[in-house]
Amino acid sequence: MRLTALILAAVPCAAHAQTAPESAPGEKTAQGDVAVTIYNNDLALIQDKRMLALPAGRTRQEFADVSAAIRPETVTLSAANTAIVEQNFDFDLLTPQKLMDKAVGQSVTLVKTNPETGAETSESARVLANNGGTIVQVGNRIEVLNGSRRVVFGSLPPNLRARPTLSVTLDSSSAGTRPATLNYLSTGFGWKADYVALFDESAGKIDVQGWITLTNTTGTSFANASTLLVAGAPGSGSGSQARYGYNPSRSIPGNRPGTETAPREQFGDFYVYPLKERTTIANAQQKQVGFLDVAAVPAGKAYFYRNGWLSASDEAKSADTVLRFSSSSQGGLGDALPAGTVRVYMRDARGQPQFIGESNIGHTPMGSRLALKTGEAFDVKVQPTVVKRERLGADRWRTTMHYKFTNARAQAVTVEFAQAGLDSWWDDTRIESESLKSERTNADEALWKVAVPANGEAGLDAVFITRF
Amino acid sequence: MRLFRLLAVCAAALLAIAPAAAQVVTSPGPDSVSVTIYREPDRSPTAEIDLDWLTGYALVTEKRTVSIPAGRGVIRFEGVAGGILPESAIVTGLPAGVREKNLDADLLAPASLYAHYVGRPVTIRRTLKGKSVEERAIIRSGPGGAAILQTREGFIAASCGPSQDDIIYDSVPEGLTAKPTLSVETDSPRAGKVTLTLSYLAWNFDWQANYVATMRPGGRTADLLAWVTLANGDVTSFAEAETMVVAGKLNREDSERQEGPEGRPLQVTCFPRPLPVQMEMRGRVAPAPMAPPMVESAMAEDIGNIVVTGARMAKQEELGDLKLYRIPDATTVASMSQKQVMMFDRKAVPVDILYRARVSGDEADEVRIALRAQNRKEKGLGLPLPAGKVAIFEPLGERRLLVGEASLADKAVNEEVELEIADATQVAATVEQGEEGRDWADQILTVTNANPHPVRFEAEFQRDDDYRLTRMSKRLGRHNGHDVWAVTVPANGTATLRYRKVDVD
Repeated sequence: MRLTALILAAVPCAAHAQTAPESAPGEKTAQGDVAVTIYNNDLALIQDKRMLALPAGRTRQEFADVSAAIRPETVTLSAANTAIVEQNFDFDLLTPQKLMDKAVGQSVTLVKTNPETGAETSESARVLANNGGTIVQVGNRIEVLNGSRRVVFGSLPPNLRARPTLSVTLDSSSAGTRPATLNYLSTGFGWKADYVALFDESAGKIDVQGWITLTNTTGTSFANASTLLVAGAPGSGSGSQARYGYNPSRSIPGNRPGTETAPREQFGDFYVYPLKERTTIANAQQKQVGFLDVAAVPAGKAYFYRNGWLSASDEAKSADTVLRFSSSSQGGLGDALPAGTVRVYMRDARGQPQFIGESNIGHTPMGSRLALKTGEAFDVKVQPTVVKRERLGADRWRTTMHYKFTNARAQAVTVEFAQAGLDSWWDDTRIESESLKSERTNADEALWKVAVPANGEAGLDAVFITRF
Repeated sequence: MRLFRLLAVCAAALLAIAPAAAQVVTSPGPDSVSVTIYREPDRSPTAEIDLDWLTGYALVTEKRTVSIPAGRGVIRFEGVAGGILPESAIVTGLPAGVREKNLDADLLAPASLYAHYVGRPVTIRRTLKGKSVEERAIIRSGPGGAAILQTREGFIAASCGPSQDDIIYDSVPEGLTAKPTLSVETDSPRAGKVTLTLSYLAWNFDWQANYVATMRPGGRTADLLAWVTLANGDVTSFAEAETMVVAGKLNREDSERQEGPEGRPLQVTCFPRPLPVQMEMRGRVAPAPMAPPMVESAMAEDIGNIVVTGARMAKQEELGDLKLYRIPDATTVASMSQKQVMMFDRKAVPVDILYRARVSGDEADEVRIALRAQNRKEKGLGLPLPAGKVAIFEPLGERRLLVGEASLADKAVNEEVELEIADATQVAATVEQGEEGRDWADQILTVTNANPHPVRFEAEFQRDDDYRLTRMSKRLGRHNGHDVWAVTVPANGTATLRYRKVDVD
């Protein structure tokens, strides 16, 4: 009994002891010294330095454990005293159908098991064809295989593989072991930044931590890799934007790109973020590494509401809550910010941080001013109404608007209110009269800064002369 | 003795498989937890909570005690919410901070298990008519649609012969986990017990307010009861959790709920066979049974528990521009459950019941019954009212009858609350045309009341650039930017307004 238990326990060990022809995670990988450079647009450059033992003359080398999402056309290999004859990427995968296809004209063994006794009888058969069914010749009988016998193949066709395999035929001028560097691009990698901002409203400060979040969906793990992240999307061509580049909160007033250079390594137009230490990027893993940690940066809160042209509402609508801060080295975060998501937290009455909203940012140079919408204010609302519309001519209208601002907070607030739609193809629109001086921020919009008293309301009247 | 030594070597070999030198510490669960639930950002007040697909979210804050080793250590967090957004995870309280955070989502599933064993030895068990034979084999094909194995006799395709072939693996490969697992790496100067805080956002929660208004006899006041209704659709229960909900609309960038990582089943195909036999074989050749994906399996069970508690009342706090409601004592936010906690209970709130119709030029819409209240302290309210549904009841003898249902958007203090609760059946509004000219027509708006009591009626005129309304026979008021004719229609009587509609050229 004891012996049985011991033997059972030993079985998994025995399995590990056997040689594994191809690697599996947890086993030794065929990868060498790996360096991974990850871009924002589902792209990574992988450099893999392996030791190759080459005889003099021509040899074919298979490179196991390359990324399963490799772009094979981008592979380059360099090694001393070695010339490349050809590079092959075999992606013909082994399936029963293909195995049978390749067995046409060859012999297989058919094994029949007696269900009663378990006795097996085998006979040799020649595969004649495999078209919607397998035709075999057994002796001088021609049969269609019907699954009543087990088909045993003598060998596997050489080009069919368990997984796509990169192989390179090399011509070496001398025998010996030497380092070889394999370079290739792979999809399935991506990264973005995630920021944690703790906002202290009464002090007007934020603490910000920045994390680099990288994901590996290549199907391959990279152990002990030296990792570099590039804040950019090379090769995405003109006009297209980085994955997280689109940012609707850009249209919130207060955003302005900066002109300062961050104290980071640059590469062309891109900032690069090297990870301090080598790390293992496992398959299906999402990894986060910190890159920014600043405390007590001045920050402020603002309220913003944009009204569409002739938009009126039967109910008051909440104004946006906007968080403003700077990425400048003077009174700001003091760094260039890679594109990502800023999550904003605030302490509740018991001091526990609570989530109050998030906003995406694009790649942001140092010295920028940021205005991020975190949410909508429960207590600060705007109700626009159309008071009067008068037709002045064929395409001339006078529109009288009234905007009501309400504030249920115990503090006075200022709402930045934009009336949009003033430039619908025509620029000869104007404000005939207004109860508060506006600022024409652009051709399409007029902006008012409306002070609303604590637990009170304020009104704004404006008369517009427009084409519509 | 020899056997014993073999085992020792074996154990060492297994240990060597673990990555690097970092010591792994597992934190099985939190000591205490607080859950703050946020409403789905884009769900309108009229929409119900979809218990089968909750797309609101929660901030989960956990306190955990962990014994950390000196030097490199990996802390694995178990028992986190299944809907975790790993990029939002924050870990504080480690003496040396966090070197890196990882979410490993390579799940243990038939396909991944097979894939890790490609090129490695397994056991194949052939079952034919209830009898099994086992032998060792090496997997030679990838998991993309086939299982080709090398046995001592040659190469075979699994389950493509008469027998049912099962693959038996020797052990679970390193790196495959039952659930996506969050871990952090730290580099502590010394070993010791630390209490750390783990917080993260997770999908699969939602909440809303629910209001019950019961009209008092006379119809001038109503009792208003408000509930916080919260739901947890996650596989994880949060026992004795400090529970909060947040009202107001937060900006979310990934407002689409994502499916979590899923384990894939192993699909096995065979060479083609003549049709009749294939039909017969189908039962045996069918792919391995689907590993139930985590989220779906959880959702397949109905949300079982609906708990209503009235003894405790949620307390409202300010949170920036949002409203936070704290449930006063710890409560269990159970997996797959909905819970209701009282928000407030106000007696005899003054309300107006009135009949309303929108009028546009020469047409009146259906007349609807509306309830109007002022959210002011002096009017018995003066509380933030988070979005939700309102049910209105009226007593009829011993019974309470439902007279209407409506929904409410977030309402701040001092706002007017107006709810359209039902279509009117006894009050109607019609517009008839009187005299007309080249570009004008006189209109007669008549409101009829078949009730044995007078009713208040409001006609709300819709603005249009194509015409003007003039020569109103009664004075109009203004409400929410509309011209409004407000009138009391006598019991079993009518009221009339005349005006002229003039086209604008």
